Amino acid sequence: MPLKTRDRSARFPRGLRRSRPLTLKARQARTAYLFLLPALVFFAVFFYMPIADIVNTSMHSGPQADEFNGLGNYVDAFDDPAARNSFVVTLLFAAGTTVGAIVLGLGLALLVNRPLRGRTVFRLALLVPYLTSVAVVGLLWRNILDPQLGILNRLLKEFDLPTQQWLNTDPLVTIIVITLWQIAGYTMILFLAGLQGIPEVYYEAAYIDGANSRQRFWRITVPLLAPTTLFVTVMAVISGLQAFGQAYIITNGGPADSTDLYVFHVFNVAFRSRDFGYSSALSVLLLIVIMVFTAVQLRAGRRREVQY
Amino acid sequence: MSRAVRVTVYALLVLASALTILPLLYMVALSLQTEGETLSGEAVLIPDSPQWGNYATLFEEAPFANFIVNSLVVAGGITIAHLLFDPLVGYVFAKFDFPFRNTLFVAILATLMIPLFVRMIPLYVMMSNMGWLNSYQALIMPFLMDGFGIFLMRQFIQPIPDDLIHAGRVDGASEFTIYWRIVLPQAKPALAVLGLFTFIFQWNEFLWPLVATTTEEMRTIPVGLTLFNQEHFTLWHLTAAGSVIMFVPTALILIFSQRYFVRGIALTGLK
Repeated sequence: MPLKTRDRSARFPRGLRRSRPLTLKARQARTAYLFLLPALVFFAVFFYMPIADIVNTSMHSGPQADEFNGLGNYVDAFDDPAARNSFVVTLLFAAGTTVGAIVLGLGLALLVNRPLRGRTVFRLALLVPYLTSVAVVGLLWRNILDPQLGILNRLLKEFDLPTQQWLNTDPLVTIIVITLWQIAGYTMILFLAGLQGIPEVYYEAAYIDGANSRQRFWRITVPLLAPTTLFVTVMAVISGLQAFGQAYIITNGGPADSTDLYVFHVFNVAFRSRDFGYSSALSVLLLIVIMVFTAVQLRAGRRREVQY
Repeated sequence: MSRAVRVTVYALLVLASALTILPLLYMVALSLQTEGETLSGEAVLIPDSPQWGNYATLFEEAPFANFIVNSLVVAGGITIAHLLFDPLVGYVFAKFDFPFRNTLFVAILATLMIPLFVRMIPLYVMMSNMGWLNSYQALIMPFLMDGFGIFLMRQFIQPIPDDLIHAGRVDGASEFTIYWRIVLPQAKPALAVLGLFTFIFQWNEFLWPLVATTTEEMRTIPVGLTLFNQEHFTLWHLTAAGSVIMFVPTALILIFSQRYFVRGIALTGLK
């Protein structure tokens, strides 16, 4: 069939034409919405409705969370020493895990970035704990650190060193270290991708200009890794603020609420004390903290974006 | 690299890897000891007489077969859902022009800012009202797709030449056929990565299965194992055996899927 450019109807072969011809744009839109329908329903029902619901519930109190209480739950939260303690504990936990994850992740990335034989094996080995469930990690370390039957104290005894009770003396530091053991391999992979994105030319130029390795690290690697560092920071803080399993599995929030991680606290208020109104308010408060933190971080990151 | 530097780097890497892997090997050793050995404080890395029977005992002491089936159904079901929906939605946002496209895309990406702990209470109430608590629906439905998977697939499908899709239209293929026969096969490496990661993370998920299940028969492995340990915290050899079983799929995926990770990452152009 010869095409006549002025004959608009011939643009589509006859077989494709519908009884009521739709423009290409309209057909595209129809297909798009048809394909999107399940997703739109899903995100509405399982993300946006819960958000509306939790904000609503947080303004109610009572065993059925049906007595309107305005901002009463929020006022209570600020006056509640248990909630305040839990928030401080969680901030310390998030700060500790973030700083540690950056230092360890970058350090390991610098090591496995070198042209070594077997570096793939090292990379995979270091990534294993990240792909392990927090349940397995928590149970395993609880056993290893057990003062009576754990292998670590047994090793200390072998060398005539005093035995330790890490989970009693420094519980928060201990769960931070266990968490670092789990996530360092992941931040290593992120930093590795960042390192491989830095053009080799800069290092060569600096080398020719006589910069030593320390200068090359602080003047090239660190500034050019800024976007990666920002991403790792935001991610580590957000996941640190949401940590739950470490408290539930390893310490049960103790001793004396010293590891009462916030989400663990919310979980107990909601599902053990059955106070859905108050626990909803506590959840919303943490969500606000996370959102403010993320916004501030991303803004700061944009200002310090490296130009090259 | 000078020789001294090379030796130092190797030493540090061996140390870091040992600190990473030894605790996991200790877990395997623990699973092969007698109850007496685990409680004596005489823990060893290589047990004299490996107690392979511990693995059988575990299935008698706890409904461990149920845990495994539940974990497979839940993690497998969620993974299949992701593989069906994430690329479909990603394809629409990559290749179609329609009203409110950007608004909808932002609305979907924004869900990445809604953590699970925020959804936990309302979803629990929702499932409870529908009588779905303690069911596979409750464990699977809230995770059918997510913003990250959709974003990943959109990035991956965008570079596929439009001509391929137009060719399909000219040949009279239905829109779904074009997606299924032309677009999806092009995205195989990304699908492999998406599927593997989704499976591993859902297999390991702890918080939601803990909240959404009420009877022992419906627990997934991580939850069942933790509660078993809280009840019988002296049965460390059985807890360790369960942990080893829990770890098997992860190990298999790590060993057999390197190729996919490498290919997938190479193809996304993120060197």
